[in-house]
Amino acid sequence: MCPTSMRFCMSCTAHNVPIRGFLETSFIDWKGCLSSVLFTGGCNFRCPFCHNPELVLHHSEMEEIPLERVIFTLRKYKKWLHGIVITGGEPTIHKDLFRMIGRIKSEGVKVKLDTNGSSPILLKGLVADGLIDYVAMDVKGPVDRYKRWCGVDINTKKIEESIRFILEGTVEYEFRMTVVPFLHREVDVYNTAEYIRHAKRFTIQEFRPHNTLDPSYADIKPFSPDKIAKIRENVEQIMAGRSEQTAVGCQQSAIKRPMHISNDDKM
Amino acid sequence: METTDLNLFVRTSEESIADWDRSKIVDALIRETMIDRDTANEVSKDAEQMIRKSGIKVITAPLIRELVNAKLIEKGLENTRKMHTRLGMPLYDVDSLILHPNKENANVPHGPEATNLTLSENIKKEYALLSVFSQDVADAHMNGDIHLHDLGFIDRPYCSGQSLEYIKKFGLDLPHSLSMAKPAKHPEVLLAHLVKFAAALQSHFAGAIGWDAINVFFAPYLEGMSDGDVKQLAQMLIFEFSQQAVARGGQAIFTDINVYWEIPQHFVSVPAIGPGGKFTGKTYGEYEKEAQRFAWALFEVFKEGDGAGRPFFFPKPIVHITEKFFRTDGHMDFLNFISDVAADKGNTYYVFDRGETAKISECCRLSFKLDEKDLLDAREPWRMRYCALQNVSLNLPRLAYLAKNDDTQLFNLITERFILAVKAHKEKRSFMEKLLSLGEDGPLALLTMNRDGMPYLRFNLASHLIGMVGLNEMVQIHTGEEMHESKRALKFGIKVIAHMNILTDKIRRQEQMKIVLEQTPAESTSYRFARLDMRYFSPLSGRIVKGDIASGEVYYTNSTHLNVKYAMNPIERVTSEGIFHPLIEAGSISHVWLGESHPSHEAIADFVIKTFKHTTNDQIAFSPEFTTCNKCHRTSRGLADTCSYCGSPDVDGITRITGYFTKVSSWNKGKLGELKDRYRNTEYFSETKKKAVNE
Repeated sequence: MCPTSMRFCMSCTAHNVPIRGFLETSFIDWKGCLSSVLFTGGCNFRCPFCHNPELVLHHSEMEEIPLERVIFTLRKYKKWLHGIVITGGEPTIHKDLFRMIGRIKSEGVKVKLDTNGSSPILLKGLVADGLIDYVAMDVKGPVDRYKRWCGVDINTKKIEESIRFILEGTVEYEFRMTVVPFLHREVDVYNTAEYIRHAKRFTIQEFRPHNTLDPSYADIKPFSPDKIAKIRENVEQIMAGRSEQTAVGCQQSAIKRPMHISNDDKM
Repeated sequence: METTDLNLFVRTSEESIADWDRSKIVDALIRETMIDRDTANEVSKDAEQMIRKSGIKVITAPLIRELVNAKLIEKGLENTRKMHTRLGMPLYDVDSLILHPNKENANVPHGPEATNLTLSENIKKEYALLSVFSQDVADAHMNGDIHLHDLGFIDRPYCSGQSLEYIKKFGLDLPHSLSMAKPAKHPEVLLAHLVKFAAALQSHFAGAIGWDAINVFFAPYLEGMSDGDVKQLAQMLIFEFSQQAVARGGQAIFTDINVYWEIPQHFVSVPAIGPGGKFTGKTYGEYEKEAQRFAWALFEVFKEGDGAGRPFFFPKPIVHITEKFFRTDGHMDFLNFISDVAADKGNTYYVFDRGETAKISECCRLSFKLDEKDLLDAREPWRMRYCALQNVSLNLPRLAYLAKNDDTQLFNLITERFILAVKAHKEKRSFMEKLLSLGEDGPLALLTMNRDGMPYLRFNLASHLIGMVGLNEMVQIHTGEEMHESKRALKFGIKVIAHMNILTDKIRRQEQMKIVLEQTPAESTSYRFARLDMRYFSPLSGRIVKGDIASGEVYYTNSTHLNVKYAMNPIERVTSEGIFHPLIEAGSISHVWLGESHPSHEAIADFVIKTFKHTTNDQIAFSPEFTTCNKCHRTSRGLADTCSYCGSPDVDGITRITGYFTKVSSWNKGKLGELKDRYRNTEYFSETKKKAVNE
């Protein structure tokens, strides 16, 4: 709520979302685009393999980054940036998220939300209000053993509800899964893929044994690149029935050789 | 007493043992110096006396020479001694040279050929400092005021840029070669000529050999070839260059290939030369499709990498992004493709030719802007041969230590050092003139060969490069802030380079010499300057040099770059660094260090387009890091201690050192310090943490 006008207003930056990190430009957080990345503090999950534990456990000790600074940067690099990625922690644990995103959207900036899907209500609300241009949901593993993956008792109905909502395709989306040796069996990955098999995009992410929430996970050796490639291939096959990939705001284009420079079609 | 009375044998430099003969000392002194016969006699007798007293039975010729030198000094004949001096290396140094790798230049492997190179470089370096350059220039180099690059190659020009047209038109007809080849009729033969000519050039130039518009000039040979055959040719070209580890000193040929998606405006209506050196009756404008096929094939090969999936170190592909590029069909496909290579392997260099200026690039950063006269040359592209004779860098931070915060003093010192660098260029130039004047019987016969009414090396067009090291630290010492810290500091840096730019102009008119500013790659110079300043300007320099003092991994920030460690986003970096680029005529670059991260090609392509449109940046490159395994011969992303495929600890790190990729194990200490510091665009949490990173 705006402290001066005591109502929701588009020009002030008052909100109750703790911004704990800000990367001005990233080449990798919004696939295909140059984007800024905003990290909110706090998370309702305790995934043992999480690589941002400070944000999950000790975020209140971290300095708050004023939204003004974020807005300032977004304005400054408007010509360069495709949008901003809101990630965490878990952004959707903050009820005030819509206010912060609303302020950002009022700058005419596109927003991608990274979420664990634990708050379908908030997610639906954000989408309904047109505040989100792209959503990436982390699916931790098959829903039947979610506690194993995310470290807390969680109402998996909500996870399922978020997945169903995202699959409806009201907003551009992707699902992602971080594959962790010992925690996941290979079959867990395939079951997850099976569960969301109609999704447009399911990205398998490699686990990085560095600065993990559960320190013992830092000793786990990640899958070899060969193994990951094989898992990805199998996932592709499971997902094969899905609809064709479409562009997601910023130009995504497969590498294709222009037809006119080929000789072979004539031979 | 007669000399023969002395029962002494001399091991001569002709690998024989001779009887003692004092008159040989006299002969040498008179032959080599300006000394008069009587004094020479006297000196030789003194030396003989000394040898006799020592009771030594066998003596080497070098020792006799040094003893004579000692006597010359006793007599105060310093100049005579200098002329009589001997060049060479201590046994200990040669021993360790043969056993241990050279780290001055990471492109030199370790092996007998490399040792030969280093040994001869050492002697030529000494020779240059004693006999090519005047005392004040040599001293300024020795104490690190300036750096004369490639002194070990004193008898060659610095670098060279040309087009394929010369060999297409004249074949491979090199002076004193065992056979002469007529112009190539087949693309594979043209390729063989190219590689051999490049190797021949490499042994006549110290630095890079650049090829202009290589895909355009290959095009007339590719008509009717299948895509597969074109790919095969591209593969041969890249492997030939990257595996030429048999060239000078066992090095790969330092080659750049310039690639265009469009046919550059200045070549569109130029008659094309095809098989057999004959004009095809078409112009290059009509070969756009073939040129594009070859460009595409080259990048297909870069994308695959070598047999172990590593990036190719050479040749370096430089893609020109021009106004016309964006008007050419398929440019987005090509941009996406080369950006995929940039993200995956890092090879792609993007050079931005804004407006209608034509450019050819070579060496780590050196590029030539083509002026009116060159554009006339473009009608006959075999005439387009450019070179830089020498490269001299100024130690900028040192000037700030000396100026003690006085602006007038600082700019005065810059001017002084600049003029000293020009003096060094004049001295090198007259030395080169001497060598070239010997023509096809001289040591640089290749460069004097005359096939088109002028010598291969067009001496009157040669450039002379003046580079700078550590602008950032100079500004830091002088203003108290590094260039990223405030607008004021950045502006001051610009003022310095603008001043140097104006000096270039003035001297060019005064001396009728083409002096140009360049961002020196300074692979070892930034380390050398920092080390020397640690010695001469302590304790202040201890707070200024970058890197880790305890481990000796110190360096100055290269050229006009901003602090590599500072967590600055790449937009800001290419924009801020780009402000300097228009002032530095011979070429500049900004690096985006990617580290482990693997951005999508679209993000990179987008960034490239925006850099072209929104900045004055001249050139950018993206640099990923790799770990390659010596056991399973596979390559993975990021610098790691063990192979992520097989777990073997026998791995090598690979990333860009200055302008080229190489194994990290071959880097000098200064560069290792920089590698640790490089900001790789990773996230940071809160300002506090960001500051901690920057401290």
